[in-house]
Amino acid sequence: MKITHEIKDTTIIITLDGELDASSSVILDEELSDPEIMTYSKILVDCKNLNYISSAGLGVFISHLQRFEDAQIKLIFYNMQDKVRNVFEILGLDLLMTIVSDYEEAMTIADE
Amino acid sequence: MAKERFFFLPYKLIKPQASHILSQPKSSTGFRNMLYRTNAKSLFVTAAIVSWSLLLANVLLAAESMRQEGAVKLSIPYINNLLIVVFILSVFAYQRQSADNLKGIDFISYLWNLFAKAGIAAYLSVALFLGYRMVVNYTDVDSPLLLHMVYQVNFGLLVLFLAKAFYIWRQLLLYHKNRFLQIAWDWYELLLFATLLLTLLNFNYTSYIFLPLLVLIGCYTLFLCTNLKWVAYLTFNKKGRSLVLLSAILLGCYIFANFFYGFADSPQLVIDYADVAFLLLAMLFVCTYTLAAFLVALFSLPTSSVFEQKSEDLLNFQRLSQSIQQGQSEKQVYDMLFDSTIKASDASAAWFEKMKKEDVEITHMLTIEQEQVERIRHLLLAYNIQNIDYINNNLDRNPGFRDLTLPWKSLIILPIKSKKHLFGVLYLLKDIEQGFDRETVNVLRTFTNQTILTIENLRLVSESLQNERYKEELKIASVVQDSLIPKTFPSDSWFEIATHSRAAKEVGGDFYDFLQLSESRIAIIIGDVSGKGISAAFHMAQMKGIFHGLMQQDMPPSEFMKQANSALSRCLEKTSFITSALYIIDYRMKGFMFARAGHCHTLYYNSMMDDTFYFQTDGLGLGIIRDKSYNNHVREMYYDYNPTDVMVIYTDGIVEARSPTNEEYSEERLRYMLTQTYHLEAEDIKCAIINDLEEFTGSTDNLYDDQTLLVIKFKATTQPNE
Repeated sequence: MKITHEIKDTTIIITLDGELDASSSVILDEELSDPEIMTYSKILVDCKNLNYISSAGLGVFISHLQRFEDAQIKLIFYNMQDKVRNVFEILGLDLLMTIVSDYEEAMTIADE
Repeated sequence: MAKERFFFLPYKLIKPQASHILSQPKSSTGFRNMLYRTNAKSLFVTAAIVSWSLLLANVLLAAESMRQEGAVKLSIPYINNLLIVVFILSVFAYQRQSADNLKGIDFISYLWNLFAKAGIAAYLSVALFLGYRMVVNYTDVDSPLLLHMVYQVNFGLLVLFLAKAFYIWRQLLLYHKNRFLQIAWDWYELLLFATLLLTLLNFNYTSYIFLPLLVLIGCYTLFLCTNLKWVAYLTFNKKGRSLVLLSAILLGCYIFANFFYGFADSPQLVIDYADVAFLLLAMLFVCTYTLAAFLVALFSLPTSSVFEQKSEDLLNFQRLSQSIQQGQSEKQVYDMLFDSTIKASDASAAWFEKMKKEDVEITHMLTIEQEQVERIRHLLLAYNIQNIDYINNNLDRNPGFRDLTLPWKSLIILPIKSKKHLFGVLYLLKDIEQGFDRETVNVLRTFTNQTILTIENLRLVSESLQNERYKEELKIASVVQDSLIPKTFPSDSWFEIATHSRAAKEVGGDFYDFLQLSESRIAIIIGDVSGKGISAAFHMAQMKGIFHGLMQQDMPPSEFMKQANSALSRCLEKTSFITSALYIIDYRMKGFMFARAGHCHTLYYNSMMDDTFYFQTDGLGLGIIRDKSYNNHVREMYYDYNPTDVMVIYTDGIVEARSPTNEEYSEERLRYMLTQTYHLEAEDIKCAIINDLEEFTGSTDNLYDDQTLLVIKFKATTQPNE
């Protein structure tokens, strides 16, 4: 699992590469727990190379969901593979989180 | 007499030990062998006494006849020679029997034994001769008979002395022997005894024919006398003591040699034992070997401390490396390290610091003040010398150390650290410059390395014990969890159910359960707690409790999910959530009601339409939204079933199972399996799916995730209550 981030103005783009399992989700949790992340207005998660997400990985997003919502920070997933999207859908997360097809769409939604 | 007493006293003291060495039978040789040896010994003693007495009588007779000149010479040399040979042989054979294998390296006791038994004979002989001289001088009577008596007794003592010395030296000579040495010795012994033939046949060994032979044997003796390995094992003190004993034995040799040489070719005597070649050669061997041992011990005195040091180092290494087997604690290992390194380096002061998490604790100190330690440590800290290998063989040259005005001039720091851990640091100080030479440092490093190994091994051993305990605990947890999952469902005529569950670890987060709500209604729940292992297992147990608690009140599945979410919101970890699906089957109504909370879609086979599909319903997992708004995220569905319909309920461990090529089993393949097997009984459908799954994943012992599978088949049989 490789987690990188890129900052564009008030937007932080987190790129997930590989499999988000129990061990790598700890790194992601650290990344999202960073107080600095609250200074951005949008968090974009690029899931293009995310091949697998475990329940622990989902748990990390879920645990931060409420906090971002309260701070009115938008959390947007894009470029998600069908397999991973299916996992989000089964759990019902597609109704709670914003999942869009590509970067452009993600940026337009984010700018709303 | 006083002299003798003095020597006899210590002899008495060591006698029990000596006899212990000599007479203790080996367990393997047994009683019979001992009996044989006792018999043989008494035979030799008898033979020796008889032959000696006969010899004495014969000699006296000959002396008497010589005195009365003109009388017929009764003594025959051949008989004398025969008696001499018999006597010598029996005494040597007796000593050979008495000699036992070396036990341990207590060579001093052997030397004592030799001195006490053989050396005394020499002094006795000298006392006897002096006594004779005194009697002759005082009484002024020349008594050839008395002289013969004394000569004869001295002969007996000489043979005893030689035999005892010969066999004790043999033991020491053959210490650390090899095959070659053993053979060489055996031949030597044989050759030596062969020279008795010269006496027996009354040849004069000084004749030119035998001289070269005797010279050869002499060379042989010299060669054998170079085997003095035992001397190296004597410590300085023991060498000193052995020098005294050896010189006493040498003196004994001199006394005998002098005595018999003095009487050689004496016209007063009828017999001359100096003519016996064997005695000469045996004496040569005993003398040479004693002298060699004496000289070697003397000249190795200055180097013995080095050897002692090395052997002590070796012993300490052994103790260190064996401390694991002996179940010693870390503290004992550090004690050993501290003592051993101080001895090995001859350090004048030292201290040892043990790491305790962040803290440093000084556990050992030798002739150094706490305050001095603090000062040195401050200085080292200032120099940024901490926990690294460091040698300073001239502290005075360094201004920082000079200012401390320490009484020491050399310092070595030896950290006890492995790649991961720093266990402690050892500081050794010496009051001389260049105190830690390369040789010493090597030995010290070997000590510290051995200590690191020992400490790490000790920790590994205790860790593995701890792990063993955890494993036991986990086994218990596994058994407890297993008991939480129902093994048997109520068997009824209207449906059949088959279950499969397998945890990835000892305990898992998957669960299923049922509750008979009324005569015709049954609630079945399946769930999957996020994560794996112990925390998942706890939440799973919680969920089971919530299921039984809430369903006592018999509520619809959607209501159950809402209430369960509210209950779990208060106790679930922030990153944890539970997916679940609850089915309430009513066979009287031929339908079931269900709600899905983020759990995998239910696979269904409808026999009427002959179709296999997944129920696509919405529903959010439990514990994701922890307030009332969750209520909008759960849907309830009602479905009428037909006889022979099949419902497959499972957890994501099934559909997300991986093949060796990292592909997922997928919902698609599961659905395909059901289309192939729906006509079978529930148990067979389950087995078919599990077999296919195992074929897909390959034979891996390690599951990626917990797997649970329930197959429910509704039956077309008679309805008993309708």
